[in-house]
Amino acid sequence: MNRKVPDLVTASPGFWQQSWQRFRRRKLAMFALYFIGLLSMVAIFSPAIAGTKPIVCRYKGEIYFPCLGYYNPSWENPIFQKDRFRRVYPRNLQRKDPDSWALWPLVYQDPHRPVRDGEWEGLEGNPFGAKGQPSGKNWFGTYKTGFDVFASMVHGTRIALLVGFVSTGIAAVIGITLGAVAGYMGGVVDLTISRLIEMVMCVPALVLILALQAVIEEVSIWNIMMLLGLTGWTGMARLTRGEFLKLRETEFVAAARCLGAGRIRIMFRHVLPNALAPVMVPIVFGIAAGIQVEAALSLLGFGAPPPNPSWGTILHSGRETLQSGYWWQVVFPGLGIFLTVLAYNLIGEGIQEATDPRLADSGN
Amino acid sequence: MTLFTRSSLLVLLATFAVLVAGCTSHQGDGSGDGDTQAVTGTDADGVDGAGQQPSAGPSITTVAEVADQLAANDGDMVPLFESVPNLLADYIGQDQEKLAALNEQLKATHVQRSNSGQAKTKTTEESVEAGGDEKTPFKLGDLISMTEEDYPPLAKLIEGNKWVDKPVRDSMALMRSRQEKEKPLATVKEALGLKNTSNDTNLKIRSAMGRLAAINKVPIDYSATWNRHTSGDVKSTNPIMISSTAEFDVSGLTSFGLMGFDWTFTPFASKDTVVSWQSSENGLLDKVVIRDDLYWSDGKKITAHDVEFSFRVIMTSKVPVPAVRSGTDQLQGVKAYDDQTVVYFHPDPLATNVWNVNFPVLPKHVYEKSVADDPTLSASKYHVSKDENPVTGGPYVIKKRVRGQEIVLERRDSYHTVNGKQVRDIPHFKNIRFAIIEDPSTALLSMKKGDIEEMQLTPEQWKEQTNDNDFYDKNLKAYDIEWVYFYFGWNSRSPFFRDARVRRAMSLAFNHAEMMERHRKGMDEQSQGIFHRTSPWAPEKLPAAYRQDLDRAEDLLEAAGWQDTDGDGVLDGMVFLDPEFDGQLEGVKRLPFKFTIATSNRSDRIALCELLRENLDQIGIVCNVRPVEFTVLQQMAREHKFHAQFAGWGTGTDPDTSENLWTTKAIDSGRNYVAYSSPAIDKLFQEGKYELDPEKRRRIYQQIHLKLYEDQPYTWLYFRNAYFAFNKSLRGYNFSPRGPYNYGPGEGSIFKTPALK
Repeated sequence: MNRKVPDLVTASPGFWQQSWQRFRRRKLAMFALYFIGLLSMVAIFSPAIAGTKPIVCRYKGEIYFPCLGYYNPSWENPIFQKDRFRRVYPRNLQRKDPDSWALWPLVYQDPHRPVRDGEWEGLEGNPFGAKGQPSGKNWFGTYKTGFDVFASMVHGTRIALLVGFVSTGIAAVIGITLGAVAGYMGGVVDLTISRLIEMVMCVPALVLILALQAVIEEVSIWNIMMLLGLTGWTGMARLTRGEFLKLRETEFVAAARCLGAGRIRIMFRHVLPNALAPVMVPIVFGIAAGIQVEAALSLLGFGAPPPNPSWGTILHSGRETLQSGYWWQVVFPGLGIFLTVLAYNLIGEGIQEATDPRLADSGN
Repeated sequence: MTLFTRSSLLVLLATFAVLVAGCTSHQGDGSGDGDTQAVTGTDADGVDGAGQQPSAGPSITTVAEVADQLAANDGDMVPLFESVPNLLADYIGQDQEKLAALNEQLKATHVQRSNSGQAKTKTTEESVEAGGDEKTPFKLGDLISMTEEDYPPLAKLIEGNKWVDKPVRDSMALMRSRQEKEKPLATVKEALGLKNTSNDTNLKIRSAMGRLAAINKVPIDYSATWNRHTSGDVKSTNPIMISSTAEFDVSGLTSFGLMGFDWTFTPFASKDTVVSWQSSENGLLDKVVIRDDLYWSDGKKITAHDVEFSFRVIMTSKVPVPAVRSGTDQLQGVKAYDDQTVVYFHPDPLATNVWNVNFPVLPKHVYEKSVADDPTLSASKYHVSKDENPVTGGPYVIKKRVRGQEIVLERRDSYHTVNGKQVRDIPHFKNIRFAIIEDPSTALLSMKKGDIEEMQLTPEQWKEQTNDNDFYDKNLKAYDIEWVYFYFGWNSRSPFFRDARVRRAMSLAFNHAEMMERHRKGMDEQSQGIFHRTSPWAPEKLPAAYRQDLDRAEDLLEAAGWQDTDGDGVLDGMVFLDPEFDGQLEGVKRLPFKFTIATSNRSDRIALCELLRENLDQIGIVCNVRPVEFTVLQQMAREHKFHAQFAGWGTGTDPDTSENLWTTKAIDSGRNYVAYSSPAIDKLFQEGKYELDPEKRRRIYQQIHLKLYEDQPYTWLYFRNAYFAFNKSLRGYNFSPRGPYNYGPGEGSIFKTPALK
């Protein structure tokens, strides 16, 4: 007899579960979360949304995924190079192998070049200059030289999200570790780390990035993310330190110590999960700030080096043509940056309110 | 009045400042080594000078006289033509055989003299090296090859040489006589109502608005201020320290010079500063008598001793002269014999010597005592104060300087009026204010508001942002051909670009048509080599312009050994790695074709490099675009530490100026940044220097043009025309192949009328 016994006792929800429940009640925050989710999907699947390379194709009896070339140029199979495709697939696939087939991205537009006449049968090349207004073919219009703004923005999403996540990720790892050590150990260690924090706070990230441009031959977006991460951890370190200072005096820490747990174990297994909630907030705000800094850098002409299409770069070129009346180069990327930063800020606010019992109870 | 001619040297140097620069933001250092050298020489352009100057002794003044002299000399034309090389042009077609024989003879003597001359001159480079040493004591003029004892007394010089008069002119008078013959295509009133939409309206606007005050018989508002635009600040106001275009602009109005040239690049001495200019018949001496009514802005007299002193300062190894030493260092010596007479000594009787005598002049009484203590002329407290408030010899003084914002010049009365008597034309503006605005979009907004009254437009601004009433309410625009070309330079030291076939493949891979249509808005002309089609030095039949042909590009690359052998989609090939260029690596190695192209950080330039990147990507070459700050780009260029770069060059007044870009010796001492070396080109430039028959000389430069185009050390892209916006209150602007300024009279003829105040 294997009758299932109904659970008479339900476990009370834990801190994170409660927080999540509280978070879910905030419509704006949830909406922002969906938005970021959508953006992440766009970022991951950008080559399938806008591109001129087939997602998958059969050519001379083999299956290829040329769109992977958008992630890394070396992932695009060299056979197309050898067969002199010249990065133009539709025409050449037909011509060089009539039996070939291909599954195309939703929009036939490229972030790195304008679509030209005759690439796709019946499709005219991109208009440029004043004629590049938003249209059925170029949803967000074109740049002054004919690049499609929509394709650039879709592919730019990768950079926008990456910059936020990677730079804040680096900052979080450094900040939380140093903050935890300083707060838990106290004494000379705390003193040293606190001074280090103050020193790093004085280093202006923007100036460092500009200096980097002069030193390194090819500044990649990864260098910029690294620098943003290496300079942006101080806030988190301070918060973590504060939490640790408070928590190390609590009973559960004393209990763990009595049971013979090592320092590292106490710090990261026992204290950290309890200190994490307040730190989550600056992490989310940090992502928003990272996106903003990258956009600002690109706007100044020091951001993601070409050909990476970043939203800030599009804005930068839009600024120059604004007097010609090309509003679409400013409005769409501006809106993209605005909405993304707003979404992160809403999420951050949501987390703050959801994890802080005082705020939660106030029904705010 | 010849505002600009006085500072012709500066102008000449400025050419190359404009170079890489481009109009709106140029590359700060326009000068560098070999600058004046780059601008030495002119002869054929001076043809129209013949027959205008009365001259003494046996020298020639008219073409008819040439014929007479020839008859009298019974074929011995050497001294004749040596002294008046420009007359050769008029002689063409009269006696080819004799001319050919003469030329051979001339060349032989020149080469001989040149060799002996070079032996006499110290290599400046070497001496500078030595002088830069901390321990070497300061010695004024240590780079000068002549010592005090070498200078013969003036009487002996005058006695021992036959002297030929050279032209002393007023560029405003030249412009006046040109305009007297021209009928205006429209009245000023009509032109002010026009919109510049076609070639026809452009010609009308230029013709009407370019008329001088004297021609149109309108009054000049001498109390007016002219608000000009400049895209960069000046580092120094000392005329021998200049190097950026902004510095050339300011220096052109404040400093004192003796020589000038007009819109046809004909050189002359300026009437405002020079009484007479004579060359010795053997071409080794130039004697200039300067006017005795010239005063510095502090009231001291300008004398020939200032000229000699300036030469000595420029030729001092401890003084870090960024631009003006080259060219000047071709002189053997300069000697002031009295307050008015100065004699220049050349090692070599080239017609191009005329440009070497041209250097800025410093007030001796200001710097004489201080230069030894602070040879940088910029570090000591005294020199800083002199840099803030310089004593000037030109028509303007610096009234105000706010760093990064503006430079205000004020006309000085002591320039044009001496002892209550007007001795020179009064400069047209009481004040000239340079507003420093780096960003072209911001500058255009200021232009529309009327805060600035002239600026150079980008093709985009011309075509799309200056057609509405917003712009035309206050402004007009005009354009003309300008001989400024832009290029991708392929460094021959890079393992990728040693082979001319690879360089040609680059040119074939690039989508020129798209560049012209989308990037240059169909407003400029594709460049087919170093000379503009309207230049007399360009071949009659220009080589066919490059068109994109990826198949041919790939074939050429394959022939040069570049194929994708490892199947990674990127071409690879065996290359020899030069340790000097590639660092540690040495010897032969298989490398993927991946390189970086450097460009200044301007979006229009980055966009063109991006187009190249895309085109090369299509044929399996990885090209990274690296936008860098201008100074970094310059440094990379000088050290030849780059694979490829995007830049541009302006025109000199003589084709010999390009010697400094293409000859082997210019790799180290000039501006041959791409380290291109061809014995044929070296030889042709050498011949061009010595060839006095203008027709033959022209053919030599045509050959140079063709040979360079064949070798494609650059991928020539386009000639950028001069697009300018002028406030409607301005009159009298005219263009030369160098744009509306930088020649005589240039900006000197521009004025405002009182009615429009």
